[in-house]
Amino acid sequence: MLILLFLAFLLMLWLELPTLLRKKQWRRLAVFLVLWLLGFVMSFLLSIGVKLPSPVKGIEYVIKFFLPL
Amino acid sequence: MKLESGKISGSQLIFLAMGFIFGTSDIVIPVQAARQMGWLTVLSGALEALVFAAIFTALAMRFRGKTLIEFNDMIYGALFGKIISLLYIWYFLHLASLNMKFINDFFMAIIYPETPLVVLMIFLTLICASAVRNGLEVIARCSVLLTIFTIFFYIADTLMLLKESDVSNLLPFMGISWRAFLLSSHRAATLPFGETVVFIMIFAFLNKHTEAKKINLAIILAAIAVSMVTARNTAVLGNLTYIVTYPSFMALRQINIGEILNRMELTVTIMFLSMAFVKISLLYYTTALGIAQLFHLRSYLPLVLPLGAIIIALGMINFDNTIQDIYFSANFYPIYCLPFQIGFPLLSLIIAVIRGIPKKEP
Repeated sequence: MLILLFLAFLLMLWLELPTLLRKKQWRRLAVFLVLWLLGFVMSFLLSIGVKLPSPVKGIEYVIKFFLPL
Repeated sequence: MKLESGKISGSQLIFLAMGFIFGTSDIVIPVQAARQMGWLTVLSGALEALVFAAIFTALAMRFRGKTLIEFNDMIYGALFGKIISLLYIWYFLHLASLNMKFINDFFMAIIYPETPLVVLMIFLTLICASAVRNGLEVIARCSVLLTIFTIFFYIADTLMLLKESDVSNLLPFMGISWRAFLLSSHRAATLPFGETVVFIMIFAFLNKHTEAKKINLAIILAAIAVSMVTARNTAVLGNLTYIVTYPSFMALRQINIGEILNRMELTVTIMFLSMAFVKISLLYYTTALGIAQLFHLRSYLPLVLPLGAIIIALGMINFDNTIQDIYFSANFYPIYCLPFQIGFPLLSLIIAVIRGIPKKEP
């Protein structure tokens, strides 16, 4: 499973990086790399079985905090 | 240089918006609390959504050819504009992941019980990613074909179920309290109809800017179709409608014409999938476009695949099970989406009117 994950994310880099490097648009490269890293870290943690905090729980907490129903 | 060179016409906008609204509402509409009055709460919810639509359309007409991200900077200034834009991008991304989870939960529960959820998500995300990379025009053209197909199926299914339906299941009329009626209307307003707020990012790419008003027509037509489906489900299933997780699917299971035309539900799930594709593609597209505009990039194309990975990962961590999903959609979602659907658009409109922006060209 992990190998497939690495392959998928390397494929993403292989598809996008050459064009990005050639055009020398560093800001676009930076945004791409940040999103890529975020996706990679989230998927990696999920696949090794770490339970990530759900954003829905946060939203429910905030709503309950402001509107005590 | 423009990020999106494609243009869509007014009629394409109607089909796109209808497909977007059908996206999840053809599977489940959170009006089960309204019992027999579900179909009427859908209509009154659509009326509430028309108010939301009037506000964000007015905003889009005021800032012609600009998307939400661009005019947030003009209204709130650089810093607050960026913060509000980021919140909106989060909302679109999260909505895409919620829908992704929801449709694949449905497929896993009903059709592919042995397949892991993540595999289904990856396939749907890849299809959506290819649509997003091809741009808005492609999504709009797909939606025209798929939405016509869906409307045809809605009508055909309803006709085929006439034999099984019992109109007395829709009685008593107004057998619920006003509070339940209004709550249920609000749920219907926010879940399928109010989400059309994403079109605030799409209006900029219309051929003629006055055609943004056609979103109202799309909401009304979609509301009639969704209301028809809700009434049909109640008429066919009776009290079972409020218990089963997927009422439309259960109702379609009852189709039986002369012992020949039966077990039609699997053909109809194609329509569920195609509508979910339209909805997720559009949300995915607005997220990619929004991030590209926020950081003033030349193209959103490189962002598409990493965003897909984030949507899948978010979809996996959002909920542990379907019951949590339905509980969240019914009780927390109608409050969570309010700032995005009406709060910020109304605030923006008021500030824009007071400050008199954009300045009239001399």
